[in-house]
Amino acid sequence: MKNKLMHLSNETMNVGFVKKVEALSGSSVRRCFQCGKCSAGCPMSAFMEHPPNRIVRLLQLGQGQRVLAGRSIWYCASCETCTTRCPNKVDLAGIMDALRKLSWDADGPSKESYVQLANRLFIENIRTYGRQYELRLGAAFNMKSGQFLKDLMLGPKLISKGKLKMFHSKNKNIGEIEAIFKRIEEMRKKGEAL
Amino acid sequence: MTPGKKRLNYSYYPGCSLHASGREYDISTRALFKALNVGLKEVPDWFCCGATPAHNVDELLSLSLCAKNLSLAEQVEGDLAVACAACFSRLKTTQHHLKEDEEKRKQVETAIAGPAALDKPVKHILEILAREFGLSKLEESVKKPLLGLKVASYYGCLLTRPPEVPELDDCEDPSIMEDILRALGAEPVKWSHRMECCGANFTLSRPGVVLKLSNAILESARLAGADCIMVACPLCHGNLDIRQKEIKDAYGAPDSTLFGNIFGSELQQGAPKDQRDLPVFYITQLAALAMGVPSGNLGFESVITDPKPLLREKQLL
Ligand code: SF4
Ligand code: SF4
Repeated sequence: MKNKLMHLSNETMNVGFVKKVEALSGSSVRRCFQCGKCSAGCPMSAFMEHPPNRIVRLLQLGQGQRVLAGRSIWYCASCETCTTRCPNKVDLAGIMDALRKLSWDADGPSKESYVQLANRLFIENIRTYGRQYELRLGAAFNMKSGQFLKDLMLGPKLISKGKLKMFHSKNKNIGEIEAIFKRIEEMRKKGEAL
Repeated sequence: MTPGKKRLNYSYYPGCSLHASGREYDISTRALFKALNVGLKEVPDWFCCGATPAHNVDELLSLSLCAKNLSLAEQVEGDLAVACAACFSRLKTTQHHLKEDEEKRKQVETAIAGPAALDKPVKHILEILAREFGLSKLEESVKKPLLGLKVASYYGCLLTRPPEVPELDDCEDPSIMEDILRALGAEPVKWSHRMECCGANFTLSRPGVVLKLSNAILESARLAGADCIMVACPLCHGNLDIRQKEIKDAYGAPDSTLFGNIFGSELQQGAPKDQRDLPVFYITQLAALAMGVPSGNLGFESVITDPKPLLREKQLL
């Protein structure tokens, strides 16, 4: 895909998508002059098919679909190195967040479903318990990803070391968290928030 | 305490990890603050800050969860002390964003049905120790200096980046951890990987990534002659401590005894890799140890890479 010839026209450039990314991230993609500093420092670029600078370039060319089709955005560790070092104040870490949200909303053409699954379970835990319940997080991930044996040896060790709690109590005011989730859903339905 | 000077008091947001996989960070933080006679009071009914997963896919949710926590923290007097680097980063980021973006602030305040406490100072315990309590006072309080302990300070990603958010230290060449170590009598080593990412939250979904990145960090610390690593984040600790054995299994010593035998010890190009265990300490464990807190109160029993042999060797136990 990365070496395929790219034809640019009004039809192939999805400017609306890029505008959404800019609105969500609060960062311009046009400011980037492709110095590559972001990718040079990115600890995850070796795992990505489009390193950070190329993601910005693709966005400049209105090629959001190409970005979403790959796994790059799910291999970003949110370490903020790119944002910290960009000479043009492009908030790439913020752009990565925005891209992930758009992919998530579309229920992801992304190939990186393990990361999405982990995120989904993590957020579910917040909604159900108010806090993370790490044992449940790990167990649910292994069940749903079909990796029953993964970290099997680590589990008992962590429990015996007191690192994984067997039981978990809900927050007393868990209702307030549910209310926050509901209000955000409401706002989005009414178009008051992205 | 100097007479006339008010005792330092903080509200405290431990975060989820410190109540579970990072419990020794919580235990040792409380022990250290007690030893220094600094007040620490937990925010009642705090929620998960959302950590990386929430902002990864839903920034509004992430900002709202943090704003809710900030308003809960208002109930407790004192600046908000945070030990987890990830929680610290999320809470500070929320304040920073909401101060800059009026529109977002309104959305968040609708979501939490109340005002966000944007002016509650949020402080990482590193800055509390080094700046508010103060390095010289810290040095004076030391009862058992950590003499001869060579420590690699590991900053990781979020303590200093992006610079305008945590405002903790230089974003490319920080020194706050080394400064604290010197005050404790330990010897900070110079090394290359103090700010390289450990793979953070890929520990669940993509452990292979964590093994690769964390291996490079451990290697670099060994190469610099460190006896151990010091961290200020439960995620970093998890990746470097819990997975250390797996990392060894995956990236263990190349079997090069043959070269060793042929070329003699000086010329061992592919010499067996240094495979020492590197205990990973939380800053608060080392600091509390130096303050004379008994090691039994610092959660060492919860650590996977046993630090006791090293501490015994250095006569710190
Ligand atoms: S560092 Fe900034 S300007 Fe340079 S390539 Fe990356 S986004 Fe573009
Ligand atoms: S935030 Fe993501 S894209 Fe930026 S340097 Fe870190 S891993 Fe790479």
